[in-house]
Amino acid sequence: MVDFARVQKELQECSRDIERSGIKVVPKSDANLACLLGTIPGPIGTPYEGGTFQIDISLPDAYPFEPPKMQFTTKVWHPNISSQSGAICLDILKDQWSPALTLKTALLSVQALLSAPQPDDPQDAVVAQQYLRDYQTFVGTARYWTESFAKSSSIGIDEKVKRLVEMGFPEGRARSALETVGGDENLALETLCSG
Amino acid sequence: MKVKILLFWWHAVAAWTWDAQDETCGICRMAFDGCCPDCKLPGDDCPLIWGACNHAFHLHCILKWVNSQTSQAHCPMCRREWQFKG
Repeated sequence: MVDFARVQKELQECSRDIERSGIKVVPKSDANLACLLGTIPGPIGTPYEGGTFQIDISLPDAYPFEPPKMQFTTKVWHPNISSQSGAICLDILKDQWSPALTLKTALLSVQALLSAPQPDDPQDAVVAQQYLRDYQTFVGTARYWTESFAKSSSIGIDEKVKRLVEMGFPEGRARSALETVGGDENLALETLCSG
Repeated sequence: MKVKILLFWWHAVAAWTWDAQDETCGICRMAFDGCCPDCKLPGDDCPLIWGACNHAFHLHCILKWVNSQTSQAHCPMCRREWQFKG
Protein backbone atom coordinates (compact mmCIF):
# COMPACT_ATOMS: atom_id res chain seq x y z
CA MET A 1 0.00 0.00 0.00
CA VAL A 2 1.47 3.36 -1.04
CA ASP A 3 2.10 5.70 1.91
CA PHE A 4 -0.37 8.35 0.70
CA ALA A 5 0.12 10.53 3.78
CA ARG A 6 3.72 10.97 2.70
CA VAL A 7 2.78 11.54 -0.95
CA GLN A 8 0.30 14.22 0.12
CA LYS A 9 3.03 15.92 2.17
CA GLU A 10 5.45 15.73 -0.72
CA LEU A 11 2.95 17.35 -3.10
CA GLN A 12 2.35 20.19 -0.64
CA GLU A 13 6.06 20.77 -0.08
CA CYS A 14 6.72 20.71 -3.80
CA SER A 15 4.03 23.26 -4.59
CA ARG A 16 5.37 25.54 -1.83
CA ASP A 17 8.64 26.29 -3.60
CA ILE A 18 7.65 25.83 -7.20
CA GLU A 19 8.71 29.43 -7.89
CA ARG A 20 12.26 28.67 -6.87
CA SER A 21 12.75 25.15 -8.21
CA GLY A 22 10.43 25.22 -11.24
CA ILE A 23 9.67 21.61 -10.41
CA LYS A 24 6.01 20.67 -10.43
CA VAL A 25 4.26 17.47 -9.40
CA VAL A 26 0.50 17.08 -9.72
CA PRO A 27 -1.83 14.08 -9.52
CA LYS A 28 -3.29 13.07 -12.87
CA SER A 29 -6.65 12.72 -11.14
CA ASP A 30 -7.83 13.45 -7.62
CA ALA A 31 -9.01 9.88 -7.30
CA ASN A 32 -5.60 8.25 -7.52
CA LEU A 33 -2.46 9.68 -5.94
CA ALA A 34 -0.33 6.88 -7.38
CA CYS A 35 -0.45 8.36 -10.91
CA LEU A 36 1.29 11.71 -11.10
CA LEU A 37 2.64 14.13 -13.65
CA GLY A 38 5.99 15.84 -13.09
CA THR A 39 7.30 18.89 -14.92
CA ILE A 40 10.92 20.09 -15.02
CA PRO A 41 12.45 23.07 -16.81
CA GLY A 42 15.41 22.34 -19.09
CA PRO A 43 18.64 23.41 -17.34
CA ILE A 44 20.11 26.75 -18.40
CA GLY A 45 23.22 26.52 -20.56
CA THR A 46 22.23 23.15 -22.06
CA PRO A 47 20.51 22.28 -25.36
CA TYR A 48 17.39 21.73 -23.23
CA GLU A 49 17.23 25.35 -22.04
CA GLY A 50 13.85 26.98 -22.55
CA GLY A 51 12.06 23.66 -22.76
CA THR A 52 9.51 22.29 -20.33
CA PHE A 53 9.68 18.52 -19.95
CA GLN A 54 6.84 16.35 -18.73
CA ILE A 55 7.48 13.15 -16.86
CA ASP A 56 4.93 10.45 -16.19
CA ILE A 57 5.24 9.18 -12.60
CA SER A 58 3.65 6.06 -11.19
CA LEU A 59 4.16 4.98 -7.61
CA PRO A 60 4.55 1.26 -6.85
CA ASP A 61 2.58 -0.16 -3.90
CA ALA A 62 5.73 -0.28 -1.79
CA TYR A 63 6.59 3.42 -2.27
CA PRO A 64 8.69 4.91 -0.59
CA PHE A 65 10.49 1.60 -0.09
CA GLU A 66 10.66 1.16 -3.86
CA PRO A 67 11.56 3.94 -6.31
CA PRO A 68 8.85 5.79 -8.26
CA LYS A 69 8.60 4.80 -11.93
CA MET A 70 9.44 7.78 -14.11
CA GLN A 71 9.33 8.17 -17.87
CA PHE A 72 9.53 11.21 -20.12
CA THR A 73 6.35 11.89 -22.09
CA THR A 74 8.01 14.85 -23.79
CA LYS A 75 10.35 13.64 -26.52
CA VAL A 76 13.96 14.34 -25.59
CA TRP A 77 17.31 13.73 -27.31
CA HIS A 78 19.73 12.59 -24.58
CA PRO A 79 22.12 9.62 -24.23
CA ASN A 80 20.47 8.36 -21.03
CA ILE A 81 16.85 8.79 -22.12
CA SER A 82 15.25 6.63 -24.78
CA SER A 83 14.34 8.76 -27.80
CA GLN A 84 11.63 6.18 -28.52
CA SER A 85 9.97 5.51 -25.17
CA GLY A 86 11.21 8.22 -22.81
CA ALA A 87 12.65 5.58 -20.43
CA ILE A 88 15.26 7.06 -18.07
CA CYS A 89 18.54 5.41 -17.11
CA LEU A 90 19.35 6.82 -13.69
CA ASP A 91 20.78 4.85 -10.76
CA ILE A 92 18.65 6.48 -8.05
CA LEU A 93 15.51 5.38 -9.91
CA LYS A 94 16.86 1.82 -9.75
CA ASP A 95 19.26 0.17 -7.30
CA GLN A 96 20.49 3.39 -5.69
CA TRP A 97 17.03 4.46 -4.52
CA SER A 98 16.70 5.48 -0.86
CA PRO A 99 13.43 6.09 0.99
CA ALA A 100 14.90 9.41 2.14
CA LEU A 101 14.65 10.62 -1.47
CA THR A 102 11.42 12.27 -2.60
CA LEU A 103 9.61 12.89 -5.87
CA LYS A 104 11.11 16.37 -5.88
CA THR A 105 14.71 15.26 -5.24
CA ALA A 106 14.30 12.49 -7.83
CA LEU A 107 13.07 15.03 -10.40
CA LEU A 108 15.99 17.31 -9.47
CA SER A 109 18.30 14.37 -10.23
CA VAL A 110 16.60 13.87 -13.60
CA GLN A 111 17.11 17.58 -14.27
CA ALA A 112 20.80 17.20 -13.30
CA LEU A 113 21.03 14.26 -15.70
CA LEU A 114 19.96 16.60 -18.51
CA SER A 115 22.95 18.81 -17.59
CA ALA A 116 25.41 15.93 -17.28
CA PRO A 117 24.86 13.13 -19.82
CA GLN A 118 26.63 9.81 -19.13
CA PRO A 119 27.24 8.42 -22.65
CA ASP A 120 29.19 5.45 -21.27
CA ASP A 121 26.05 4.08 -19.63
CA PRO A 122 23.51 4.80 -22.36
CA GLN A 123 19.79 4.19 -22.54
CA ASP A 124 19.73 5.20 -26.20
CA ALA A 125 22.77 3.81 -28.06
CA VAL A 126 22.19 5.94 -31.20
CA VAL A 127 22.14 9.19 -29.22
CA ALA A 128 25.13 8.12 -27.11
CA GLN A 129 27.16 7.30 -30.20
CA GLN A 130 26.34 10.65 -31.75
CA TYR A 131 27.25 12.39 -28.48
CA LEU A 132 30.67 10.71 -28.47
CA ARG A 133 31.48 10.90 -32.19
CA ASP A 134 29.90 14.15 -33.32
CA TYR A 135 29.16 16.38 -30.35
CA GLN A 136 28.12 19.43 -32.45
CA THR A 137 25.45 17.44 -34.29
CA PHE A 138 24.27 16.04 -30.97
CA VAL A 139 23.82 19.54 -29.54
CA GLY A 140 21.99 20.62 -32.71
CA THR A 141 19.60 17.68 -32.60
CA ALA A 142 18.96 18.02 -28.87
CA ARG A 143 18.22 21.72 -29.32
CA TYR A 144 15.94 21.04 -32.29
CA TRP A 145 14.01 18.44 -30.30
CA THR A 146 13.66 20.93 -27.42
CA GLU A 147 12.31 23.54 -29.84
CA SER A 148 9.96 21.07 -31.51
CA PHE A 149 8.61 19.12 -28.57
CA ALA A 150 9.34 20.90 -25.27
CA LYS A 151 8.31 24.50 -25.93
CA SER A 152 4.89 25.40 -24.57
CA SER A 153 3.89 26.52 -28.05
CA SER A 154 4.72 23.06 -29.41
CA ILE A 155 2.76 21.18 -26.73
CA GLY A 156 -0.38 19.85 -28.35
CA ILE A 157 0.72 21.01 -31.80
CA ASP A 158 -0.43 17.74 -33.35
CA GLU A 159 -3.93 18.32 -32.00
CA LYS A 160 -3.97 21.81 -33.54
CA VAL A 161 -2.67 20.54 -36.87
CA LYS A 162 -5.38 17.88 -36.83
CA ARG A 163 -8.12 20.45 -36.25
CA LEU A 164 -6.84 22.65 -39.10
CA VAL A 165 -6.66 19.62 -41.40
CA GLU A 166 -10.27 18.82 -40.49
CA MET A 167 -11.19 22.34 -41.65
CA GLY A 168 -9.78 21.41 -45.03
CA PHE A 169 -6.22 22.76 -45.02
CA PRO A 170 -3.33 20.55 -46.20
CA GLU A 171 -1.30 19.18 -43.26
CA GLY A 172 2.04 20.62 -44.40
CA ARG A 173 0.65 24.14 -44.75
CA ALA A 174 -1.24 23.89 -41.44
CA ARG A 175 1.91 22.83 -39.61
CA SER A 176 4.14 25.52 -41.10
CA ALA A 177 1.48 28.20 -40.46
CA LEU A 178 1.35 27.13 -36.81
CA GLU A 179 5.14 27.22 -36.58
CA THR A 180 5.32 30.74 -38.06
CA VAL A 181 2.84 32.18 -35.55
CA GLY A 182 4.34 30.33 -32.59
CA GLY A 183 1.56 27.79 -32.11
CA ASP A 184 -1.44 30.15 -31.89
CA GLU A 185 -4.30 28.31 -33.56
CA ASN A 186 -6.38 31.41 -34.40
CA LEU A 187 -3.45 33.31 -35.90
CA ALA A 188 -2.53 30.24 -37.92
CA LEU A 189 -6.10 30.07 -39.22
CA GLU A 190 -5.95 33.73 -40.27
CA THR A 191 -2.66 33.14 -42.09
CA LEU A 192 -4.08 30.12 -43.87
CA CYS A 193 -7.24 31.98 -44.92
CA SER A 194 -5.40 35.05 -46.16
CA GLY A 195 -2.67 33.07 -47.89
CA MET B 1 7.69 28.96 63.11
CA LYS B 2 6.19 26.04 61.35
CA VAL B 3 3.46 26.32 58.76
CA LYS B 4 1.33 23.35 58.14
CA ILE B 5 0.03 23.16 54.59
CA LEU B 6 -2.70 20.82 53.72
CA LEU B 7 -2.65 19.76 50.10
CA PHE B 8 -6.02 18.76 48.73
CA TRP B 9 -4.94 18.02 45.20
CA TRP B 10 -2.13 18.70 42.80
CA HIS B 11 -1.90 18.57 39.06
CA ALA B 12 1.38 17.48 37.48
CA VAL B 13 2.19 18.19 33.84
CA ALA B 14 5.06 16.51 32.05
CA ALA B 15 6.29 16.89 28.52
CA TRP B 16 8.44 14.43 26.62
CA THR B 17 10.29 14.48 23.37
CA TRP B 18 12.64 12.16 21.53
CA ASP B 19 16.21 13.39 21.66
CA ALA B 20 16.97 13.13 17.94
CA GLN B 21 18.84 15.66 15.81
CA ASP B 22 16.08 15.86 13.24
CA GLU B 23 12.43 16.71 13.74
CA THR B 24 10.98 14.27 11.25
CA CYS B 25 11.65 10.70 10.21
CA GLY B 26 13.47 10.66 6.87
CA ILE B 27 11.45 7.66 5.73
CA CYS B 28 7.79 8.47 6.49
CA ARG B 29 8.30 12.26 6.90
CA MET B 30 6.18 12.24 10.06
CA ALA B 31 7.37 14.03 13.20
CA PHE B 32 9.55 11.95 15.50
CA ASP B 33 7.28 13.02 18.31
CA GLY B 34 4.39 11.60 16.34
CA CYS B 35 4.37 8.01 15.17
CA CYS B 36 4.93 6.05 11.99
CA PRO B 37 2.01 5.74 9.52
CA ASP B 38 1.12 2.28 10.85
CA CYS B 39 0.74 3.33 14.50
CA LYS B 40 -1.93 5.32 16.29
CA LEU B 41 -0.11 6.56 19.38
CA PRO B 42 3.40 7.97 19.74
CA GLY B 43 5.67 6.86 22.55
CA ASP B 44 6.91 3.48 23.67
CA ASP B 45 4.84 1.58 21.11
CA CYS B 46 6.44 3.40 18.19
CA PRO B 47 10.01 4.03 19.33
CA LEU B 48 12.92 5.62 17.55
CA ILE B 49 16.02 3.66 16.77
CA TRP B 50 19.52 4.86 15.95
CA GLY B 51 21.97 3.45 13.45
CA ALA B 52 25.74 3.15 13.95
CA CYS B 53 25.92 6.26 11.72
CA ASN B 54 23.78 8.15 14.30
CA HIS B 55 20.80 8.62 11.98
CA ALA B 56 17.48 8.04 13.68
CA PHE B 57 14.23 6.65 12.27
CA HIS B 58 10.98 5.25 13.58
CA LEU B 59 11.82 1.61 14.37
CA HIS B 60 8.92 0.40 12.23
CA CYS B 61 10.04 2.51 9.25
CA ILE B 62 13.66 1.37 9.24
CA LEU B 63 12.61 -2.26 9.76
CA LYS B 64 10.41 -2.04 6.66
CA TRP B 65 13.35 -0.65 4.70
CA VAL B 66 15.85 -3.24 6.00
CA ASN B 67 13.42 -6.09 5.31
CA SER B 68 12.73 -4.82 1.77
CA GLN B 69 16.40 -5.07 0.83
CA THR B 70 17.64 -8.41 -0.51
CA SER B 71 21.29 -7.68 0.26
CA GLN B 72 22.90 -5.51 2.96
CA ALA B 73 20.69 -2.50 3.68
CA HIS B 74 22.19 0.99 3.72
CA CYS B 75 21.22 3.99 5.81
CA PRO B 76 18.61 5.96 3.84
CA MET B 77 20.30 9.23 4.82
CA CYS B 78 24.05 8.60 4.38
CA ARG B 79 24.19 5.25 2.53
CA ARG B 80 26.54 3.71 5.08
CA GLU B 81 25.91 0.04 5.77
CA TRP B 82 22.99 0.00 8.17
CA GLN B 83 23.85 -1.36 11.62
CA PHE B 84 21.65 -0.86 14.65
CA LYS B 85 23.53 1.13 17.25
CA GLY B 86 24.55 -1.26 20.01
